[in-house]
Order: sequence, then C-alpha cells, then structure tokens
Amino acid sequence: MKPFDVVIVGGGGAGLYAAMEAMKTNPSLNIAVLSKVYPNRSHTSAAQGGANAALANKAKNDTVEMHIFDTIKGGDYLADQDAVEVLCSEAPKIIRELENIGTPWSRMEDNTIAQRPFGGATLPRCCYCSDKTGHTILQTLYEQCLKKGVIFFNEYFALNLSVNGSRSRGLIAMNMKSGKIEAFPARTVIFATGGYAKMYWNRSSNAAGNTGDGQAIAFRAGIPLKDMEFVQFHPTGLRKSGLLITEGARGEGGYLVNKDGERFMARYAKEKMELGPRDLVSRSIETEILEGRGFDSPAGTYIHLDLTHLGAALIKSRLPQIREMSMQFEGVDPIEEPIPIRPTAHYSMGGIDTDNFGRTVMDGIYAAGECGCVSVHGANRLGGNSLLDILVFGRIAGHTAAQEAGKFNPEPIPEAELKEQFDAVRGGMHSSGNYERYGALREELGQTLARNVGIYRESSLLQKGVQEISELKERFKKVRVFDTSDVFNTNLMQVLELKNMLDLAETVAAGAYAREESRGSHTRVDFPVRDDVKWHKHTLATMVNGRVVLGEKPVTMGRYELQERTY
Amino acid sequence: MTAPNDQHNETKKDVTFRVFRFNPQVDSKSYFDDYTIPVERGVTVLRSLNYIKEHIDASVSFRAFCQAGICGSCGMRVNGLSKLACTTQVWDVLAKSREKDIIKVEPLRNLPFIKDLIVDMDPLVDKMKQYSNWIDSTMPEASMGKKEFLISEEEFLRYDKATDCILCASCVSECSILRANKEYVSPAVLLKSYRMNVDSRDSIHEKRLAELVKDHGVWDCTHCYRCQETCVKSIPIMDAIHGIREDAIESRGVKDTSGSKHAEAFMSDIEKKGKLVEATLPIRTNGVLWTLQNLLPMAVKMIMKRRTPPPPPLVKSAKGIKIFRGMFREMTEHVKQDHKSHKK
Ligand SMILES: Cc1cc2nc3c(=O)[nH]c(=O)nc-3n(C[C@H](O)[C@H](O)[C@H](O)COP(=O)(O)OP(=O)(O)OC[C@H]3O[C@@H](n4cnc5c(N)ncnc54)[C@H](O)[C@@H]3O)c2cc1C
Ligand code: SF4
Ligand code: SF4
Ligand code: FES
Repeated sequence: MKPFDVVIVGGGGAGLYAAMEAMKTNPSLNIAVLSKVYPNRSHTSAAQGGANAALANKAKNDTVEMHIFDTIKGGDYLADQDAVEVLCSEAPKIIRELENIGTPWSRMEDNTIAQRPFGGATLPRCCYCSDKTGHTILQTLYEQCLKKGVIFFNEYFALNLSVNGSRSRGLIAMNMKSGKIEAFPARTVIFATGGYAKMYWNRSSNAAGNTGDGQAIAFRAGIPLKDMEFVQFHPTGLRKSGLLITEGARGEGGYLVNKDGERFMARYAKEKMELGPRDLVSRSIETEILEGRGFDSPAGTYIHLDLTHLGAALIKSRLPQIREMSMQFEGVDPIEEPIPIRPTAHYSMGGIDTDNFGRTVMDGIYAAGECGCVSVHGANRLGGNSLLDILVFGRIAGHTAAQEAGKFNPEPIPEAELKEQFDAVRGGMHSSGNYERYGALREELGQTLARNVGIYRESSLLQKGVQEISELKERFKKVRVFDTSDVFNTNLMQVLELKNMLDLAETVAAGAYAREESRGSHTRVDFPVRDDVKWHKHTLATMVNGRVVLGEKPVTMGRYELQERTY
Repeated sequence: MTAPNDQHNETKKDVTFRVFRFNPQVDSKSYFDDYTIPVERGVTVLRSLNYIKEHIDASVSFRAFCQAGICGSCGMRVNGLSKLACTTQVWDVLAKSREKDIIKVEPLRNLPFIKDLIVDMDPLVDKMKQYSNWIDSTMPEASMGKKEFLISEEEFLRYDKATDCILCASCVSECSILRANKEYVSPAVLLKSYRMNVDSRDSIHEKRLAELVKDHGVWDCTHCYRCQETCVKSIPIMDAIHGIREDAIESRGVKDTSGSKHAEAFMSDIEKKGKLVEATLPIRTNGVLWTLQNLLPMAVKMIMKRRTPPPPPLVKSAKGIKIFRGMFREMTEHVKQDHKSHKK
C-alpha cells in the first residue's frame, strides 16, 4: 500500500477535527481516518451538557482569563498553565468556527449562541445544543469530512504500531468486515481513540468501546502515559448500566436517600445538601454504601435518587430524558419509584503524554482528545472542558502532523510483523483445557478497580488492586476466543479490548499507589491532603520490558500560584 | 412465588430469544437459534443479547456501543419491528408479543447483510454523499472563526428536531419503497437533506434540490408514513419530505420528469381535497403496471395492518377548503408559468 502522510486513529470529535484541519493545512496530502465504529457512533455523541468558551454572549463580563483561572483551579493546580492558556484562548474561535460550518447551537434572544452555567465555572459560558451537544458537534464534523472527501476506513480495529528503533513505520489494524490484518505505512499517526474509563465496566458511564486502545498501543510501543491515576467519578450513574443521570435531577430538587430512608447529604454538606460539588457528592454516596446503608441487589449495592415528591407534572415537563432513561434502563418510572443509582467512572484525565502541539516523544506520533494528556484538566476536569479539549487539540494535532509529515521518510511494514500480529490476535482461538471466559475477567476487572482503585483509595487496597490486576493479566493468557470466524468477529474484538484495559489498569493502579496525597479526583484516605512539596508533579508511566515503570514530569506554571482549592 | 399471567408483578422469568443467524463464511442459508435465559424486569433487549454472548454463545454477532440510545449502532428488528435494542425493554416487548415469552431478533432490512444481526451501513453513507448532506457554508473558509451567524429561534426550530437523527437506519429498514428499489434516497437522507436545505448558512440548496427531484429521489416516496411511525427519536420525517416537495414545486416548478407527473397529481389533489389522496398517487405517477408490480403486495399487507390511507372517496375535503383553494391557486400561478416557459 502507498504510504499515508497522516493516519488518524479514531473518528470522534478529536479525530475528525484533526482530519479536517490536516486537509485544510495541505490538501495534497494522503490522509486517512481509521475507526473501529462508524465515526458518527463515537462516544463524543454522548456528551449532553456543552462546551465552554468565553464568548461573553450570556455574561457580558466573561473573559478568557477567567476561563483560564477556573480551569487551573478546577484541576487542582496540576494542569500545565501554558496548555490551559491555549485551550481557553482558542475556545471562542473554535466554537464560532463550528457554528460557521453548521453546528446547530441553541440561541439566545439576540440570536447569538446560547450559553448556560456549568459546574466549576464562575460565569455561564457553556455553549450547548439542547441536551445533544456532543451529538450535533460530531454530526457536523462527520458531514464536513464527507464533504471534504476524507478517506475513511470504518470498522477497522487498530492493533499496534510498527516500531523501528525510535521511529514508527505506521499502524497495523484489523479489518472487521474481512478479519484481515492490514498494514498502514504512514509518515505520521495521530491517536484519537477516546478515554479508558470503561475499564470500570458496569461502574462506568462510558460506551462499551472506551477501552483506551490508543493509549495501550502507544504504551506498548514505549511511549509514556501521563497522570493515569486521575479518573473522574460522577455521583449519579444508574445501578445496572452505570449510565448517567445528569445533575439536572438534583438541580430540580431530587433527594439522595439511603436504605434507612435518610437524606444523608445532611451529614456531608449541611447547606448545599444534594447540590454539593461532584466529587463531594460521589464520596458521600460511596461512604453510605461502604458503611452498609445502601440497598443490596444482584447488580450491586446502590442508593436512591428520589424524585417522587416532585410530582408527575414537573417530572414530565422538566426531566423527560431522565424519566425515559430510568424506564428504559432500570424499568423504573421515577414518578412512582425512586431511581437506583451509585457513582460511576466517567472521564479519564490521564492519557498519552503530549506537548502543546500534540507531539509524543516518538517522532511522527501524535495524540489528541481524551486519549491524550496535554494536560489541560490536571487532577480534575471541569464539565464542558472536554469537548473543548478534543476540538482545540484535535485541530492542533491535525495541523502539526500535516506540517511535519514531510520530515519523516516512509518505510514499509515487514510482512513478518503482520504475520506475528495475526498469530497473536488469533492465539486465543486455540486455547483449550482450562480456559478463561473474557466476560468474567472483564467483570472482575471492573469490580477490583471499583473496590480498590475507586473513589476512596488507600495503601493496602491499592496494593491489593495491583496484585489482582496482575493475576487477571495472568489469567488472560488463557482466555478463549469462541468465535473462530473471520467476518465481523465481535468476540475477538472484545477480547482485544480487554487486553488493552488490563494493560492500562495496571498503570492506573500503579500511579494511584505511588501518589501519596489527595488531589482532585484522587482521594487517598491515608494521605487526605494535597502535598505540593512532594507531589506537585505529573506521573509518567512507561513500559520497560513488559513492566510499568513510573517517572515524573514537572507541572508548567507561570500564570497562577498554588492556592487552596475551595468552593 | 409469582402469580401466573400477571406479568406486571413478576420480577423475573425465562424468556426465549429467537436469534437470526447467518455467517457468510460457513452458512449457505440463514436459520434461527433459540436461547432461553432468565430475565429480570427492567432489562433491555441489548442486555439480554450481551448476556447470551457472554454466557451461552459468544459467536452471536451484533453491534452495540453507547448502550444509551444515542450512537445508533444497535438497530435491529425485534418481533418484526425495527428499533434500538438498547432502549427496548424486554418486558414491554413481551406484553405485545404474539408468542408467549418468545422474542424474535432479526437484522435490519434494506441494507446488505454482513453477519447475524449486522448489516452494511455504507450504502447509507454513500447516499449522504450523493445528496450533499452537509452545510456548504456561505462564509469563506478564510473568515471562519471570527464571527457568528445570527440565527433566530424560529430558524433553529425548523431543523432542531431533524438534528436528533442518530442514523440508526430503523426507518430505512421499514421503508416500503426501499424494499422495491434499493437506490431510493431513503427517509433518513431525505430528513438530513431537508435539515440542510432550511439552514440559512448553507449555499448549495439548489444543487441539493436538483439531486433530490431526480429519479429515486423525493418524488418516489409513497407517503406510507412507516418511517415516521418507526423513528426511534420520534422525528416527524414526513414534515421533512413534504417540506422538500413543496420547496421543489415552489422553486423549480413542475419541470422534473417522474416528479412532474407526481407533482401535478400532488397539486390537483391538494386543490381538490385540501390534503393528499395518498392511495391514488403512485398510480398516477408511475403508471398502473408499476404500481401493481411494486406496491400492491405491500398495500394489501398495509391494509391488513390498517396502515394504508383510506381509499379516495373516504378522504373528506379539509375544512376551510374554499379559502385554501384560492390561496393555492395564487401560490401556484408562478409555478405553472414556469412550467410553460420550460416547455417552449
Ligand atoms: C455520558 C457522558 C457525558 C459527557 N458530557 C460532556 C459534556 O457535557 N461536556 C464535555 O465537554 N464533555 C463531556 N463528556 C466527555 C466527552 O464527551 C469526551 O471526553 C469526548 O467526547 C472524547 O472525544 P474523543 O474524540 O477524544 O474520543 P471519542 O469520541 O470517544 O472517539 C474515539 C474514537 O476512536 C475510535 N477508536 C477507539 N479505539 C480504536 C481502535 N482500536 N481502532 C480504531 N479506532 C478506535 C472510536 O471508534 C472512536 O471513533 C461526557 C462523557 C460522557 C461519557
Ligand atoms: S413515507 Fe416515504 S420515505 Fe417514509 S417509509 Fe414510506 S415510502 Fe419510505
Ligand atoms: S430518522 Fe429516526 S429512525 Fe431514521 S435513522 Fe434517524 S433516528 Fe433512526
Ligand atoms: S448501543 Fe448506541 S444506540 Fe444502542
């Protein structure tokens, strides 16, 4: 195959923006997007809330500077401040650009783009399209890519980088429709494969495929991952599926109730009650569950989000989505019964370590979106900043790769490597005797992470987590792929995803064990305060001879000095 | 103990999923596999399929991603109707199921097969390209990002609902014309085309419309309403189809081939009755033979399911038809002129 100038792995917001921008930067380049699902199915579509930008349409006194400060403070001072500056100052431009190419933003009375308040922001600066912001952004980008004639390899599963010393020759991927392993020789590769929070499995709000494939591929190729221990939990996920019930339910007056019928938030946030900040509410619910005041069920212990006192009229008019979701996914009508909920893993702050241009340490390899870590979110992401991140840094990575592609000479990917991948991938089809079931391993991985590397972390639990993950990795060697066919083998794909999750889970647990402090989403019971002397730094996880080795990287400051984070 | 025949009080029961199977690599024809599993109240069809895949037969193949009804991956036919497996409650399906405690799961129709419940979505993407389903902005690329277009709430509302579409292809699977003609534009693509056409930021309205009025385009639709009845996001797809047609007549006149006959039929119907006489429309457009061959078998089925529009004599003139006729004549005057000048 003729080498590509730019291969983009991932067709979510980050990948599509990168593709669009790369084509714009140099239309003569040979650019392809590879995605394991049709791009419009990517998880970007699930974002409801919106994207932040200091347009000052709603709050006339809003400024980029205030957005910068909110982001740095929200991230508990772990974000790189020069990167945050790029994020926030590019924001108004990128939101307008999306508007210019057709995104159907909701409108204000003066016909400008509408904005609303969002957690952690001083002023209302979250731009939205009803409750389908991510969906409409993704549609717009996909439409524009079709218009520009971007070449898509849909339903291709990326497997590995072909590495030659300090350089990559390109990507190896499996065509799902035929089962063939194909080579994508490329001057540059951009990873935009989304987050890894699905490793918490049933305790995650993420799509089934948010398994951190790009991070795992980069990690195996020797590229460092940054701040992997930071995983954000959302307080109200549905019990069975982990799917999200938005903050709106509590905003309208919903109660959180334990099995003794008590509105327990009174114990944790006397004044704000159910409307305390996300991490606090998540921790409170978790405490109730841990101390035995939750409801037991085969699908796990949960507490109640009670809306029944709000009445049918209000629920129907203001919370129709939430009602629909409760009925569809729990079989519960919130007009009549409380909704069973518990905290759910929602967003991964960590990812492939990049500079402000999306470059990784390996020549010609870039990363952007939830898959990358610039870092703009630090220890905790603000609502509405992630969509912004994927757009801004997706564009930057696309631009940089297109500009730098000429610097790297292409090299063919050796046939032997394809053969090797083929054997590795299909190895599981031959296991017999005492084999393992992928479903069980996946479930156990989710449970051990939720229990030991969850909201509350503590030395002995984390040690146990590390231990259990390495046992699961051992058992994975005997996992069985039951479906032996070539055509659209989803069984095989799920097994490959599980492998990626296991590799990454190890870095999350290792990082969490090492970081002896509490910062942002990372709460250590045994080290309850932020330790700026020892831990005001990023962790870097690198794979050396098949093992996780932890390193560190300083935080770029320059705008705001360290302060205590209070709200 | 659960009382028999009292579904509402039951919290768990054994349900049989009768799953369509076909693997092109080994099977010469398709067949069904039965899987009986315990299902709790509140469980969706997708969760049941996941359970089957994890615990009974890992080779059962289907697509699923978000599991929250937003990505559009899991469209399939459940007891004969196209819908999203992830938002469909097993209990709800059983309540309407003809065979007790049996749920039949099949792939979507009108798209090429790949394996089991998986069909090929590429034809739909190709049609999105054919009908320019994107905004070609009136703003030059160099000035983008500097300022916003000002869009009124009224304009936003014109396409708000249409942008709910998640391209799940459920409507495509149920479309009656697509069964006869795979080249037909498809309801979802008509919807998307309409959404682009009513957006003031777009500059290729004419070009898109010119494509839409060609063969296999907007005039081929029989107004059977199945797409709209099926839509998993309750989008009024027919409004979009009517919108495109009105637009076509208004801005292009009746100068298009098959469309022109259809349009004349359409206009005379509106004028006479104030609403469409759907049942006679395909005959007048495509001729008696075509209608007999392509639509009659379907019409018989539709009548049995009481979906077909009433036969002509039953369609009563809409209220206020006199005023409407006057307005209509005025409105179409220029269309006829255009038609004449075109013939010269
Ligand atoms: C329920 C929910 C609500 C959210 N709400 C908001 C919000 O209101 N505001 C906000 O700012 N953020 C929100 N977020 C976060 C935000 O949606 C995501 O962080 C963001 O969309 C990620 O975009 P992405 O482009 O990086 O990745 P994704 O959209 O996840 O795309 C990843 C792409 O990579 C592809 N891919 C993955 N692995 C492979 C592989 N092995 N081979 C080939 N292709 C692969 C996939 O097919 C996909 O196309 C929310 C997240 C969730 C879960
Ligand atoms: S109304 Fe038209 S587009 Fe919709 S299903 Fe019927 S024929 Fe197809
Ligand atoms: S119009 Fe409705 S049914 Fe058709 S693809 Fe879109 S969401 Fe699905
Ligand atoms: S899995 Fe996404 S819509 Fe059903």
